[in-house]
Amino acid sequence: MAHIQLSGIQKRWGSVWGVRDVDIDIADQEFVVFLGPSGCGKTTTMRMIAGLEEPSDGAIRMNGEVMNDVDARDRDVAMVFQGYALYPNMSIYNNIRFPLRMRGVPKAEHDVLVRRAAGLVELTDYLDRKPSALSGGQRQRAALARAIVRQPQVFLMDEPLSNLDAKLRQAMRVQIKHIQRQLKITTVYVTHDQIEAMTLADRIVIMQSGMIQQVGTPDEIYNEPANTFVAGFIGSPPMNLIEGTLEDGVYTAQGIRVAGLSQRHHGRVILGIRPEDCSAGGDGAQLTGTVYGVEPTGDVTYLTVKAGEKLIEVKAGRDYRAQLDAEARVTFDSGRIYLFDTETGQRLR
Amino acid sequence: MIDTTLDGSGAASAAPARAGYRFRRRSRALRRAFPYLLVAPAVCFLLMITLYPGAYAIYQSLFYVKFNTWQFVGLDNYRDLFADREFWAALWNTLVIGGTALILECALALLIAYYAYRDPWVKGWRIIFLVPMLFMPSAVAFIWKLAFMDGRVISDLLMRIGLIESNIGWTSSVWLSRLTLIIADVWQWTPFLFIIFVAALQGQDEEIEEAARLDGASWPAIFWNISLPMMRPVIAVAVVLRGIDITTMFANVFIMTRGTPGGSTETISYFIYRIGFKTFNFGYASAASFVMLVITLVAAQFVVKRAFRSGRD
Amino acid sequence: MASQRRSKGESLILRYFVLGGWALFCLVPVLWFLSIGLRPRTEIITPQPIYMPTFSLDAWHMIWKDWPMGYYLRNSVLAILGSVAIDLVLAIPAAYSLARYRYRGREDIGFYILSTRMMAPAIVAIPIFFLFKSMNLLDTVWALMLIYAAINLSVVTWIIRSYMLDIPKELEDAARTDGASDLRILWEIIIPAILPGIITAGVIGGIFAINEFLFTLLIASTKSAYTMSVALANFTGGSDGVIYNAIALVAFIAFVPVFLVVVAIQKHLSRGLTMGAVKG
Repeated sequence: MAHIQLSGIQKRWGSVWGVRDVDIDIADQEFVVFLGPSGCGKTTTMRMIAGLEEPSDGAIRMNGEVMNDVDARDRDVAMVFQGYALYPNMSIYNNIRFPLRMRGVPKAEHDVLVRRAAGLVELTDYLDRKPSALSGGQRQRAALARAIVRQPQVFLMDEPLSNLDAKLRQAMRVQIKHIQRQLKITTVYVTHDQIEAMTLADRIVIMQSGMIQQVGTPDEIYNEPANTFVAGFIGSPPMNLIEGTLEDGVYTAQGIRVAGLSQRHHGRVILGIRPEDCSAGGDGAQLTGTVYGVEPTGDVTYLTVKAGEKLIEVKAGRDYRAQLDAEARVTFDSGRIYLFDTETGQRLR
Repeated sequence: MIDTTLDGSGAASAAPARAGYRFRRRSRALRRAFPYLLVAPAVCFLLMITLYPGAYAIYQSLFYVKFNTWQFVGLDNYRDLFADREFWAALWNTLVIGGTALILECALALLIAYYAYRDPWVKGWRIIFLVPMLFMPSAVAFIWKLAFMDGRVISDLLMRIGLIESNIGWTSSVWLSRLTLIIADVWQWTPFLFIIFVAALQGQDEEIEEAARLDGASWPAIFWNISLPMMRPVIAVAVVLRGIDITTMFANVFIMTRGTPGGSTETISYFIYRIGFKTFNFGYASAASFVMLVITLVAAQFVVKRAFRSGRD
Repeated sequence: MASQRRSKGESLILRYFVLGGWALFCLVPVLWFLSIGLRPRTEIITPQPIYMPTFSLDAWHMIWKDWPMGYYLRNSVLAILGSVAIDLVLAIPAAYSLARYRYRGREDIGFYILSTRMMAPAIVAIPIFFLFKSMNLLDTVWALMLIYAAINLSVVTWIIRSYMLDIPKELEDAARTDGASDLRILWEIIIPAILPGIITAGVIGGIFAINEFLFTLLIASTKSAYTMSVALANFTGGSDGVIYNAIALVAFIAFVPVFLVVVAIQKHLSRGLTMGAVKG
């Protein structure tokens, strides 16, 4: 049972803020992903959970107990590092065995546990080798085996897949999710890759500049972004965000006119619409502009439309083609239009 | 489905309940003291060799000491020391001999490094050039003592070449005897600087050199305008290290000249040795030691801190 | 690759003239001295240099029979190995503290350790002499061991520190979350990872110990503590004057192992000599 609670966590170095006002509850067996661009504070937050950094303020609790003054080695966590951090002078077998020795697991059990962990990641044939003799993917799996061998209360993973190529990344993603489900261990995972976040997480914590932007399930993050940052971070290509004016439920910007919107707000607003929620052409088109770019990729064609000064991305059907500078009309899925405040970036409901 | 249970039963089970797990909290004081504890044995050991002798030397310098009799004389030793012609001569000698040797070593090392670092046989050259440095300094002193002896090899060779007409008394002329010390030091320690310089030059980015070549620069020009300035911190460190060691020149003097003629080759280390262990005037020698300590500390403040700034961080 | 640096357009003649010239300057005295070592006693004393020497193992027999060369060798080896061992035991934790921890006074402690490198032996020679005299340690190999250890501790510490700084911090973080204590990390992870650095530090410290002359001269006044360095200085035998052929052989006995070891670590040499400031 590992229920983690961060309350009022702050971390700063001198006058530089690393993490600010982080409050989050992570339930037992939950897979939580901290997502955000580099420098957003996600790794620092995870290191504080691990005990490798001390919070400047706030409390970290595990199962209700305050952990701030507990050494990293005494917290029951296991961590997988971005660079794998395998001990170069030991064989893979001894690397995986290391945590068992350090935590005083009876010697008789070592061999069984090590082989089981190696088996889970399919490294049984490589146990005698040293890390330098392994490929990147194999080292990654060795690091994973070392983390799971002693069944800790919490897994922490710091961008473990970022050094792998795309194909390997996908395979490992599946395996990590699978292992976590089997072992039922609370996991905190840090990444800047939104695909990883969306596919692995039970809940995602999006951070920027040291602060939490939103916490929610992948669906919530995707369908109900809390602000422009979240909206623009998730989704590839990112959501179109266009500044315009909202009056009496009608939004206008250069080349765009959308009716039937909420009457509760007026003035300058930002309209958000995902490329996948746009379609080219259509009778009730809300956007008129010129074709700026057409990129067929086989299964979908990316259409860029220029309206006034803005470029709007549209995911068109795979057979869509058009001439540059030709007139283009775009229809928005009215159920999937978002409005954001221009100053705060918060979503307007 | 992969069997992840510990007992192989195949039944999926939750992670063992850790409800009773109590986290161990360790002493904060120990954690904070730990780095100090790590470094303490080394520091204590060094204190024994610096603090204790330093204090002892200061104490002893206030006395006139002859064998077992100690007579308090206050600052008389220092007064005599600063008025002592031989003391100043020793400092001067150290400066002249050491300074000349250092400059020669540096210049030669740069010259050789310049030619060697781009040579395909650089590894071979390095090994050959290392040889003089690997002999014991006392052995090297004997080599050159023998070579410069009256009527011996060097004089003989020079006569045969025709550079001189008759025997030179290497050890009877002030400048010549200093020269022998300088040559011995240069022979042995130029490799020290050479190794460092070559390593630094080889570590420099080749692309910069290639770009300069394409721009039409000659190799000497490249070296003078690009490689050399880039080497400045390295030269500083190497020269500082060698300079420190040169001021402590003792073995060469002891074996080759013993300070003759007339004390012109007496370095400060030899001066202290002679006063202490030949005339047994320990109080006086301690005063000289203390003065040297002060000079060293002052120099360390400037020199070491600046030269090792990058190394320390 | 540095050894393949192109250098076209440069006068090869000049280059090999300079390099070859210096190589001769380095090697000729060595070979000449070797020839001295292999000459009979009679040829050493003559005032005129001899260019066609006769081969003789006179000196070799002399140093092993008339002098306790084996004893000198033993003392040298003991003193050197002992001092290096002491240094490594003290330096490794100290280097770790300086390299990996942040605490008040770290800069000052580092500077203090570094400054002992600057100390001329002559400065502390007299007090050390009296200290060892009062402890009845004069003339023992133990005294030499302690002195050498003290002189070289700063160098050894600083070299090891330089290598420790190269280890990625991630490795230590991993060990910590695996449950290792700081001492465990030092012993099982750091030390194996910097083994080349430790060896380099040991070799450099050992060489400085072999070379040491002043303290050895003062402390070892009878044959029981003579090392090779000082035995050399006392190879003066009555009517024969200075016995150069014996000296030459002893010099080579000391030279050969040093040479072999240094060639083995030459990759790390410049880093060792500059205590980490210049990475070869």
